[in-house]
Amino acid sequence: MGRDQSGATGVIDGLRERIESTRQYDSHPLVTAAAVLVAVTVISPLLWLGLRAAAVGPTEAVSILTASSTMQVFTNSLALVASVTAVSVVLGVPLAVLTVLTDLPFRRVWTVALALPLVVPSYLGAFAFVSAFGPHGTLAELLSPVGVTIPTIYGFEGATLVLGLFVYPYVFLTTRASLLSFDARQLEAAQTLNHDFRSAFRRIVLPQIAPGVTAGTLLVAFYALSDFGTPAIMHFDTFTRVIYVQYNNFGRGTASLLSIQLLAVTALVLFLESRFGSGADSGDGYGGGVTGADSPITPLGWAKVPALLFCGAVVALTLVVPVAIFGMWLLRSGPGYAAGGFGFEWTFAINSVYIAAIAAAATVLAALPIAYVSARSDSRVGRLLERSTYVGYAVPGIVLALALVFLGANYLPWLYQTLPLLVFAYVVRFLPQAVGATRSSVLQVDSELLGAARTLGETPKGAFRRVTLPLIAPGLVAGAALVFLTTMKELPATLILHPTGFTTLVTYIWRVQEAGYYGRAALPALVLVAVSALSMILLLRQEGDNA
Amino acid sequence: MDDDTSSYLRRRRFLATGAAAVSGALAGCNGLPGGSGGGGSGETGAVTLSSFRGSGPLVESRSSVSGTRIADLPDLSGSLTVYLGGGEGGLYRELLTLFSQIYPDFTVRPREGGTAQLANTIIEEGENSPADVFWAVDAGSLGAVAEADMAATLSSSVVESVPQEFHPTDQWIGTAGRARSVPYNTDEFDADDIPETVMDFPGTAALDGVMGWAPTYGALQAFVTAMRLIEGEAATREWLQAMLDAGVTEYPDEFLVSNAVADGEVGAGFANHYYALRVRSARSDAPLDLAFTSGDAGALINVAGAAVIRGTDRQELAENFVHHLLTVEAQEFFATRTFAYPMISGVPPVGGLPSIDELNPPSIDLQELSNVEPTLQLMRDVGVL
Repeated sequence: MGRDQSGATGVIDGLRERIESTRQYDSHPLVTAAAVLVAVTVISPLLWLGLRAAAVGPTEAVSILTASSTMQVFTNSLALVASVTAVSVVLGVPLAVLTVLTDLPFRRVWTVALALPLVVPSYLGAFAFVSAFGPHGTLAELLSPVGVTIPTIYGFEGATLVLGLFVYPYVFLTTRASLLSFDARQLEAAQTLNHDFRSAFRRIVLPQIAPGVTAGTLLVAFYALSDFGTPAIMHFDTFTRVIYVQYNNFGRGTASLLSIQLLAVTALVLFLESRFGSGADSGDGYGGGVTGADSPITPLGWAKVPALLFCGAVVALTLVVPVAIFGMWLLRSGPGYAAGGFGFEWTFAINSVYIAAIAAAATVLAALPIAYVSARSDSRVGRLLERSTYVGYAVPGIVLALALVFLGANYLPWLYQTLPLLVFAYVVRFLPQAVGATRSSVLQVDSELLGAARTLGETPKGAFRRVTLPLIAPGLVAGAALVFLTTMKELPATLILHPTGFTTLVTYIWRVQEAGYYGRAALPALVLVAVSALSMILLLRQEGDNA
Repeated sequence: MDDDTSSYLRRRRFLATGAAAVSGALAGCNGLPGGSGGGGSGETGAVTLSSFRGSGPLVESRSSVSGTRIADLPDLSGSLTVYLGGGEGGLYRELLTLFSQIYPDFTVRPREGGTAQLANTIIEEGENSPADVFWAVDAGSLGAVAEADMAATLSSSVVESVPQEFHPTDQWIGTAGRARSVPYNTDEFDADDIPETVMDFPGTAALDGVMGWAPTYGALQAFVTAMRLIEGEAATREWLQAMLDAGVTEYPDEFLVSNAVADGEVGAGFANHYYALRVRSARSDAPLDLAFTSGDAGALINVAGAAVIRGTDRQELAENFVHHLLTVEAQEFFATRTFAYPMISGVPPVGGLPSIDELNPPSIDLQELSNVEPTLQLMRDVGVL
C-alpha cells in the first residue's frame, strides 16, 4: 500500500519504544480526588455486611465458613467462574474480530444480534433453555419417539453453557471497543512485513486488545459469581444460590458471612488476574489516533461460510431459542381462572428505557475519573481504585439492595424508594462495566498526541476535550451500552428499591411469572429484547460516528 | 357505635349463620360443583357482593354466605402503603381496586416483591419502615416479620372469625388458604380408593405406576418439608424412594399434574387443591375430583396472610384494612377468583369442597416450612430432583 518496508519497521520500532516509555501526562489531582470519592461511595454500602455478620458468634461463624457444604459451594463457584469465562473468550473474541476486522457480510446486523443475548435476563434465558432442552422440554418430546434422549441440561455443564451463551457479549463488546480504538495501520504494516494475518494478529493486535479482553473476562467472571437465576434453574449450587436460600430462611447473619466470603473470592480472582493475567497493562500508552473508518478489512475468503455458520449458531442458541419459547408461551393460552389485575402497559417499556438511560449516563460519568486515573497513572492507587469497583458488581443484587434498604430507610429517608437511590444502586452494581470499557480506550490514547496538543497551546482540559474524549468515545459508548442493557434486565435491586408505583418491564415480568402465567411474560420479554435491539442500533451507530 | 359491643353482636350473628353454611357445604361435599344453588344475597351500600365474585361454572351455584360484611365495618379512609408479597398475579391488586371504588377517600399504595424479600426489607427498614401492612402469600415470611418484632398484635375482634392455627400469635392472620390434595380421575377411582394417610400411597397396589407429581414445584417441596418435620428424615427418604420405585410420573408444575389426571394420563396425583378447580373451571365435564388425607403432610394447609407493621402511624386504618380482608366480600373474592380456601367458615370454598373446619391439617408451625434447603438436599440424594 505504497509504504516501504523500512517505513513499516519504523512504525513498529516506534511502538516498542513507546511501550517502554513512562507516561508523561498523569491525571490531575482533582480527577484523582473525584475517582477516590466515587470508589469510596460505591463501596461504603457494603460495610453493612460487616454489621450483619457481626451478629453471628465467632464459633458459629467458623463452623459455617468451614462446613463441607460451604467448601463444596466454594469449589463449585470457582469452577463455574473459570468455565464460563473460558466459554466467553472462545465466543466473544473471534466474534469481535469477525465483526470489526473482516469482510463478514451484514456486519452491522451481526454486531447487534451478537450483543443482544446480554439483554435476555438469565432467569428467562435459562428457563427457556430448560423448556426447550430439559427433561420434559419441547425438544426432548420431539425426539423421544425416535428413541433419542438428550443429555441432561441440569448441573455444571448446563449452567456453564447457558451462562456462557448469555454473558459472552461482555467480552464481545469490550473487545470490539478495543479493536475500534486500535490503529489498524499497524496491522497493515505488519502484513506488509510478510506476517500472515494470524501472526500479525498475535504480535500486533492481541497485545493491544488485551486490556479490553481482560475487562470483558473480569465482567464475565464476576457476573458468573453473582448470578442467581441460572445456577438456581440449572440446579447448581453456588455462593449466590446459597445466599438466596439463607435470605429466604431469614438467616441474615449467615447470608452476610457468605457474602463476605464471596467478596474474598472476588479479591482473590482480582489478585490472581493482576499477577498472572494477560498483562492488561502491557499495551499501555500507544496506538490510537486514527481508527475505525479507514481500517483495512481482511477478506475472509474460504472462511466466510464457516464464519457465517458460527455467528448463525450463536444467534440461534441465544436469541432464536428464547424468542421461540416466549412466542410459544404467548400462543399457548393460559390455563384456569380469569387472571386479572393488570394488563401490559407500554409505560412499563418507557420506564425501563428511561431508568436504564439515566443509569447508563450516571455510571459512565462516575466511571470516567476512575478509568482515567487508573489508565494514566502507574500508582497502586489507580490500580486499587479500578479494582475496588468490582466489589459492588460481584455481590449478589439482593445483598446490595438490602444494604441500601437499611441505609436508605434509616439514614436517608428522603432518598428511600426514589429514583435517585435506585440509580445509585445501578451505579454500584454496574460501575466496572463502564470502567473496564472506558479504561481500555484511555490506555490506547497516544500520550504523544496529548503532548502535541499541549505544545500547541491547549490547556489540560482543552486537550482532554479535543483529543482524549473523541478517542475514548468508543469505550464510553461500549460502557454505556453495557450498563444500559444490564440495567434493562436487572431484577433484584429494581424490585426492592423501585419507587412505589414505578413498574418496569422486568418487574412486570416478575409479577406475572411469579404467579405462573408464563404466557403473559412473553410479550414483555419480547418487548425487552426489541427495545434493547433498537437501543443497541442507536448506540452502535454512535460508535461508528465517533470512530 | 361502641366497637366492643358491635363485635360481640357480630360474633353471635356469625355463629348462628355459620352453622347453617357449614351444613350447606357438607351437603354439597360429594361432587365437585356442589352447592345448593342458593345464590348469594348481598347489597352492601354502593357495592354488591357480585362485584367481588368471580365467574365461571364453579361459581354459578354459590350457596349462601355469612359473616362480617364490609358494611358492618367502619369506612376505610386515608392512604395506606401495603407491601404485597406474591399477590397471585395481580388478583390482590384487583381487590385493592374494589376497596378504592367503595371508599373514594381510601387510597392504597401497593408495593410488590417476593414474600421473603419483602419480609427481609421490612426487617431491615426497622422502625422507619414506610409499610403499614404486610400482606403475603406465605406464612413463613409473616412469621419472620413477627419474630423480628415488626408486627403489631391484632385485636380479638379482627382475629376471632378465623381458626386459631391461622393466627398463632395474633401478630398476623391468615386471609386465604391452599390445601394439599389428591386429584384423582373419577373414571378410574372412587373416593374410597384413595388412602387416608399419605404415607400409605406407595404401598397401595391400585396406585402403582399411575401417580403423578411435580417435584420441582415449590408447593410439593413444602409438602415434603412438612413430611420431614412430622415423620422425620428417614421415613421421608423411604417414602420418596418408594414413590420413585412405584413409577411416579414427573410433571413441571401442579396445574399440569391436575390436567394429566383429568386426561387420564395418570390416575391420581399430588397438587394444591386449586389447580384441580382451575381445570374444572375450564372443562366442567372433566372426570376429576379431589380427595384429602387426614392429619398428615398430605393434609397441609398453607395460608396467605396479613400483618400490621409495628410503628405505623396509621394503626387503626391498617387494622381495619386487615379486617376488611376477612369480610364475606373479600373471602368470597378469594374463594371464587383464586379458588382459595376461605378463612371464615361462613364462606364455603367453591366446588363443593369441605370447609376449612372440616379438613384435618397436621399441627405444624407454618413458619418452619420456609426451611426448604434440607428438603431439597434429601430430594436430590434420593434422585427425585
